[in-house]
Amino acid sequence: MKYRNPPIPEGINVSDRHPLRELFVLAGGALLLLLLLSWLLGQFGGRLARLLPFEHEAVLAPVSLLSSDAGPELQAYLDQLGDRLTTQMVLPEAMQVHLHVSGGDSFNAFATLGGNILLYRGLLEQLPHENALAMLLAHEMAHIEHRDPITGIGQGAAIQLVLGMLFGDPNLGVLGSAGLYTQLHYTREMETEADADALQAVQRLYGHIGGARELFDVIHAQREKSGLGEMPAIFSSHPLDQQRIEAIDTLAHERGWSKTGETTPLPPDFTRWIIEAADRAKARARTDGMIPGMPTSPSSLPGHPRPG
Amino acid sequence: MYNLIVFLVLLLLGYGVGQYAERRHYRSIIEREGRLNALPAIASRYPPTQPHYRQALVTGSTVISVDYFKRFLAALRNLFGGRVTSYESLLDRARRESLLRMKQQAASMGAAMVFNVKYETASISKGRGNTIGSIEVLAYGTALIEPRGQ
Repeated sequence: MKYRNPPIPEGINVSDRHPLRELFVLAGGALLLLLLLSWLLGQFGGRLARLLPFEHEAVLAPVSLLSSDAGPELQAYLDQLGDRLTTQMVLPEAMQVHLHVSGGDSFNAFATLGGNILLYRGLLEQLPHENALAMLLAHEMAHIEHRDPITGIGQGAAIQLVLGMLFGDPNLGVLGSAGLYTQLHYTREMETEADADALQAVQRLYGHIGGARELFDVIHAQREKSGLGEMPAIFSSHPLDQQRIEAIDTLAHERGWSKTGETTPLPPDFTRWIIEAADRAKARARTDGMIPGMPTSPSSLPGHPRPG
Repeated sequence: MYNLIVFLVLLLLGYGVGQYAERRHYRSIIEREGRLNALPAIASRYPPTQPHYRQALVTGSTVISVDYFKRFLAALRNLFGGRVTSYESLLDRARRESLLRMKQQAASMGAAMVFNVKYETASISKGRGNTIGSIEVLAYGTALIEPRGQ
């Protein structure tokens, strides 16, 4: 009897499918699943957080981080402007807005839990007139009216908690106040809606939206100056400046609002008040050994500190 | 961010080096299989009784480890199920290399054929799958050596 081993054809036990193709299909699928899960969690967390009554939000507010550097005159001026805007908006009775000024030179302003709004000197000193300031305030107040801060935190917390458990690193710090402060992240839809509502309030207050657009010119100029340029729309949760200005123009056209009109100047002492706030921040930094204000990137304007 | 860079470098390294080594290894396997084809390896337990062959145990063993890229692919496969193709080629190479080493040993003894060929496999990682991903493939059989003077 003759024994022999016939040659075995290749490719029976081994697949000739390219490993890179396999990688892209599998990794793409996993990524898609992860994104879907994150999105679902975000929706769930946001909806859940919205159910929290507004009065209870105040308890969660990072009050310690919101110490205001504004002198009594600046505070009174801002408060009365805020009150005038409140009457033009549809804020429920219980929604009290608290305005704070930080003497820090960050070019930023944002709304956070408990109806608190923090304005930075770096941004305030660039504003050309009251109309732009009103637009800024109204934008942040619209976030509060829409309950965007708590929604943003609910979304962030749900995503972080579940993904953390999945990947074995549940970061429960999200429930602490430091977490609340930096977790704020608004979606583009939230920003666009806040813009629209703010614009309406400004229109009602001044009878035109003339100065409101200039807020975005200021933001755009600052971005150019800082050399960061605009990020492509896909990476930025904020609508691009140009898109925002266009959206404003479209809205104004639709509703027949006047795009030009006389702007109201800021009070003559406004610059002095701001310098005083800066001095107060420096003095506080010396006593506390702290840097005034939170470092924030100029790309996150206006609305929220961008999570690092 | 730093972790991501390390991960991508390892993945790229695993892919580049792993694929290069695999192609080279397959070329060598196919070439040697052709060369040793004259020495059959038979699974049957009943060797020919005539002539009276001398018998000897021959073994060929290979220990293989998985590269980062293949491991990552296999981990992804764990999510979806299906053929773990990245491991299949690795094990195929280990089996064929073991058989070749066994045949090499038999050839050096002047054997005419190897009977009762079997494979064994042993995991070296043993519950430490995340740190060492190595297994041994052992091929063994009875070499039949033609008696001298015939």
